[in-house]
Amino acid sequence: MGKVVGIDLGTTNSLVAYVDNGVPVVIRDDGGDALVPSIASVGEDGTIFVGREAQRRLLTAPTRTVYSVKRFMGRGIEDVRGEANLLPFRISGETGGVVRIGVADREFTPPEISAFVLRELKRRAEEHFRKRGEFDFEVDRAVITVPAYFNDAQRTATRDAGRLAGLEVLRIINEPTAASLAYGLDTGNRGTIAVYDLGGGTFDISILKVEDGVFQVLATNGDTHLGGDDIDRLLVEQVIAEILSRGLNQPSRPALQRSAGSDRESDPPSQHWPVGSQRDPTLAKAEGSAPQPSPEAIQEIRKAVIQAKWDLSDVEETEIRVEPSPGVPAGYRKRITRADFERLIRPLIDRTLDPCRQALSDAGLEARDIDEAVLVGGSTRIPLVRRVVQELFAREPHSELNPDEVVALGAAVQADILLSGRREMLLLDVTPLSLGIETMGGVVSKIILRNSTIPASGREMFTSGVDNQTGVDIHVLQGERELAADCRSLAHLHLKGIPPMPAGLPRIEVGFQIDANGILSVAARELRTGIEQAIEVKPSYGLTDEEVERMLIESFEHAEADFEARLLIDSRNEAESVIHATDKVLRQPDFATIAAEQLEPGERERIDAALAALKASMGDTDRAVIQEKTHALNHATQHLAEVTMNRSVREALAGRNVKDV
Amino acid sequence: MLECRSCGAGAPVDEHFCPQCSRILALGRHGDYFAFLGLPRRLTIDAQDLEKRFRDLSRQFHPDYYYNATPAERLASLERSSYLNDAHRALKNPASRVEHLLAIEGLPPAKSEDGAAKVPPSLLEEVFALNEELDEIRELRESGTDPARLRARLESARRPIDEKREEHERQLRELSARWDSQEQSPAAEKRMTLDALRERLLERNYINNLLATIEREVANLSAGSGQPAAGSK
Repeated sequence: MGKVVGIDLGTTNSLVAYVDNGVPVVIRDDGGDALVPSIASVGEDGTIFVGREAQRRLLTAPTRTVYSVKRFMGRGIEDVRGEANLLPFRISGETGGVVRIGVADREFTPPEISAFVLRELKRRAEEHFRKRGEFDFEVDRAVITVPAYFNDAQRTATRDAGRLAGLEVLRIINEPTAASLAYGLDTGNRGTIAVYDLGGGTFDISILKVEDGVFQVLATNGDTHLGGDDIDRLLVEQVIAEILSRGLNQPSRPALQRSAGSDRESDPPSQHWPVGSQRDPTLAKAEGSAPQPSPEAIQEIRKAVIQAKWDLSDVEETEIRVEPSPGVPAGYRKRITRADFERLIRPLIDRTLDPCRQALSDAGLEARDIDEAVLVGGSTRIPLVRRVVQELFAREPHSELNPDEVVALGAAVQADILLSGRREMLLLDVTPLSLGIETMGGVVSKIILRNSTIPASGREMFTSGVDNQTGVDIHVLQGERELAADCRSLAHLHLKGIPPMPAGLPRIEVGFQIDANGILSVAARELRTGIEQAIEVKPSYGLTDEEVERMLIESFEHAEADFEARLLIDSRNEAESVIHATDKVLRQPDFATIAAEQLEPGERERIDAALAALKASMGDTDRAVIQEKTHALNHATQHLAEVTMNRSVREALAGRNVKDV
Repeated sequence: MLECRSCGAGAPVDEHFCPQCSRILALGRHGDYFAFLGLPRRLTIDAQDLEKRFRDLSRQFHPDYYYNATPAERLASLERSSYLNDAHRALKNPASRVEHLLAIEGLPPAKSEDGAAKVPPSLLEEVFALNEELDEIRELRESGTDPARLRARLESARRPIDEKREEHERQLRELSARWDSQEQSPAAEKRMTLDALRERLLERNYINNLLATIEREVANLSAGSGQPAAGSK
């Protein structure tokens, strides 16, 4: 059996963590970075880049680079059309079906893109365990977190992504609940907790009661389309609108040529953002009238506004600084104060309040009954968000644990609970949305109510409408509204093989079971004959099992190529570090002295030749060539390395007694 | 009797674990939430005791602890956890607790049989007055009367209904206490209490529908006047 990890699969960033001797830790790369940007990019030769490398390609290959794919998980094209205009990659799909993401000549579903990110996390974790000298370093199982307000289709899509990445998904758990587990570790006490989780793309509020180590969710609410991304989009739209209105996208305006320089005087005077009088800032309205900036320009703008957003969490005023790009040749700069920023985003942040009030009311509590409020998600670094939460619950919210890391830590804790069977802690979560079926006249009959503790089950009786009818169709939905048209369609079930009987005589009991993952399964039985009915499930916004199987097979076919690509990247990285080290020695101020005193005749030339050969091979796609040249350079510099090493040791020891050493 | 799927031994229906092999038992066709939680069939429940039982049983049944178990045990854990959650939800709330009691005592459900169409006789007077008032308010709203005034009228129309509901809650509590004291009483007396409880529940559902109607009217007023619903408070 391999290793088990906890994964926070985020809209913007993802993390992997595990429990090491009872303590949950996130796994970092060599540079100490725990965050893997949830971005995948397809190279010109089909290589898949993920994480930081893919993030760099946002600017250089925007149409081949997919980000924020979590927003599309388990959703249909009609849900996301509104935001498609600012995305540099293509999205498509049939109405009432899965979203498809087009990159160059390939097409991906959201779970496939998420699987790339998961595979990178799996690789990172395996690398970590291998470096620790663990014999069995393979990671084959994981607990993956999702927003609490994710519906069945979104959860299923996440589980599919795990499978596609070669992970057995032990459990899907909710992000705010995971966070509370991480926080609960060192408190161990009792009380009522509100977890406010505003991430890159989603918002959740969960109200929990903690007692005897049982973390019981009383109510949850949220918005799966509200987060830092929306803040970024507001800013991007504002910048684009201003670039268009000031004509900055036209190359030949002399005034702008000047401001392209770095001299501050020629910057346009700081203007206040026209927030008050602002129209609905969707660019869709501007579509016909003005040309859209290029994908490159949009990514430059995104990068600049995100930086400004981060700055404004620490300082009162900053500058949005868009680097020149083909679409905006002169670039763009603008002062922005925290007050401007807060005016702009206030309506977005206020949208978190209604879900909070609803969750409180569903839990049968008032804001003053909350003992602790906990902040989770990168967007809770924004001072306005903290103020809003503080006002709502009338207490200073907790943010001791890194809001980016706390969810992954909690997932690792849950993975450990599942594995060890330790019963000190238990998480009892709820289903966020009511489950129902469509009945006569398009009305929904609810079978499992929202905020029911999971696992939960419900039953419904069906019969036939005509004599000898052998099949029944059932439309399953999720949501709180009365009409099926206003709820989320989950699936169409078709019951088959009902024994032929006069109309109304069969008594078919359909059992709906929501498991601890919040995912639905259905079973049906004809009670007179006791015959278990076969059920065909056609998910409305998900992949069928057959599709997932096919993708798995395809991913195995691609896996070898992907593995090769990874090895190539590793070889290049190693070569780079050897080149860097060699260059450094050669450029040392006293290198001439060393060379004259210690190097053999022709040694310097051999080093130069090996160095040049390796540099020339860097563009090669055959990693064997790069490895060979790296090896050659290592060999050529071996003597030099010894010489410089001895020398620096001598220098370090100069003037000191042997006793001191 | 239940049959243990792990060792084949028989077990009483209210057992959770096999007396023979101590594995978790399949749920079977259990129907009594009180017995499942180890509670007597009484309507007065100590909330803290209920919560504690719920937590303790969750710790015994939850699928988290059956990851490495056999498929039969995993299924049993899922079934028992689901059933426990249903039981906890039903018994936590006094009204659904009564509903469950009526069901296991063999009474027809206290949901609306013929829809909510039939007005309970004890409410005739109030319903008549309320409907008249609502009609008038709707007319006035359409002719553009000041929403604030209409809101005040709705509030006063609501008062007698609220009072009725409070009275019902009180009656439900009294009947519940009577049921709890009747453990040794003859079946016919117990049956009378159950019938009365059912009658109160039906009326209660009807009253809740009336209150919902008033709420909708208030919302209509707010929408009509272009004010958000919260603005009125």
